Amino acid sequence: MPKAEIAKKTLLGVVPVDSPFYRFHPATRLMLLVFLSVTPLFVDLPEINLALIAVALFLLRWGKVQLGQIKRYLPLLFTVALFMFTVAYLAPGDRAMLTPFKLLGLTFYLEPIWWAFVSYCRLIAMLFGAILYFSTNRERDLLVALRTIRLPFAASYVLALSLRSAGMFMEDFATIREAQQARGLDLESMSIADKVKLYTMYAVPLFAVALRRADEISNALFARGYTLSARPATGGKRSDYLRKQYRLLARDWVAIAAMGLVFGAVVALRIGWGAFTDDASLLKALFRWGVGV
Amino acid sequence: MATAPESAAVGVSVWEVEPGERRKPGIVHVVMMALFIGIGIVVGTLGSLAIPIGFVSLFWPGQAVQALGGIWFGAWGVIAGMFFPFISNALSGSAPIPVSAAYLPANFLQGFLAAAGFRWLKADPRLRTWRDWAVWVVIGVLLANFLGAFWGTYVLTWFGLITEAARPTALFGWFIGNSVPSLIFGSILLKYVSPMILRSKTFVKGWLA
Repeated sequence: MPKAEIAKKTLLGVVPVDSPFYRFHPATRLMLLVFLSVTPLFVDLPEINLALIAVALFLLRWGKVQLGQIKRYLPLLFTVALFMFTVAYLAPGDRAMLTPFKLLGLTFYLEPIWWAFVSYCRLIAMLFGAILYFSTNRERDLLVALRTIRLPFAASYVLALSLRSAGMFMEDFATIREAQQARGLDLESMSIADKVKLYTMYAVPLFAVALRRADEISNALFARGYTLSARPATGGKRSDYLRKQYRLLARDWVAIAAMGLVFGAVVALRIGWGAFTDDASLLKALFRWGVGV
Repeated sequence: MATAPESAAVGVSVWEVEPGERRKPGIVHVVMMALFIGIGIVVGTLGSLAIPIGFVSLFWPGQAVQALGGIWFGAWGVIAGMFFPFISNALSGSAPIPVSAAYLPANFLQGFLAAAGFRWLKADPRLRTWRDWAVWVVIGVLLANFLGAFWGTYVLTWFGLITEAARPTALFGWFIGNSVPSLIFGSILLKYVSPMILRSKTFVKGWLA
């Protein structure tokens, strides 16, 4: 019996064939991206940002995303942490104003190391919002969402074409690389400098293809009566086929309202009452106790 | 592929509008802008994933794409250069949307400076003389990347991603990390792709057409 298809490749990545996310309108999913990307900006408390990361991981699993897919981000998560903590160690600021502590024979300073941790949690929480979005949405979903929130036709068309062309160029890139490998190119034995030079040379045919496509697409658009103003050349109102195929249901309104309320509450509590600062962090107390300061 | 007359004669600037030549913005410019955003997404994403260090890239040839976009396609290229990092940063995981939004002025400068330098100083995008090279290297690479890095490292400080004390070092790292690939990547593309662009309808002599 053939194995059931569980994921499909889109122009930008891989999304599950079936996912509970698809029951929601693409605009609701776009709101989730905005919510997960912007909310951490108002939160210093690492416990909450860690909870948001946990929520994003839960949603990835709930959305039937293969978690192996997000492995490609692991080196980045590690190197970002390494970079931030190294910077906090090497350039902590005015040492006379900071609280030193010893660890493994090295002298660290509490404030910059702690702030690096706070900022890292915030950054990763925001990044997981984007990872979740691109793991559960196709380019078409983004386009529908933008049309639903009434982004002008010309702007949404440009965005849609750029996302589609990014996918096409990635395929062209793979084709060029395969053609070079078929002619005996051995990437494994190349030095980094040679790889950089090769990478540059990939761009030349990509631009040639882009020029040809620009001509073909603009001729096709012209032939179909598209104009720069995005109004039909014959006048009247342009029909919006895509938007009419999707309807915002009650569950979408509930989800959008819930995200709006939580976001509004976070902003109000932060700005009005100074909530979510790291002063109230239990992890901070634990950290101070751990390093003995 | 339809072509436009090329101002290839030595001594005639490619930016001069020739007698009888009518230029106005068209669909082809909008389409090229969209395709250029697509190219930027690919180059920016693959560049960031090649040497993953997150928000301070050790190798980001995306800046070359921004500069070339401005030089070849005027305002359309500058707009493309401003917006493709939003998507490429999100796809590569190197910066979330709010950080990418804060980078916007730097992305604008990195595309605009090269575009303005080549137009105002009448430099040839095919890099035929030492003067063309000087405009490209000094304005398109060094100045653009320095200002981009200057703003970008402020953004990193605002988001608490680096300490204030680390800003000069981060600025230096960012500047070198963007300038070297831009110089290599951008110079090769200007030399080999510019002749093709100059013959095409998409080449913009002014800012919009």
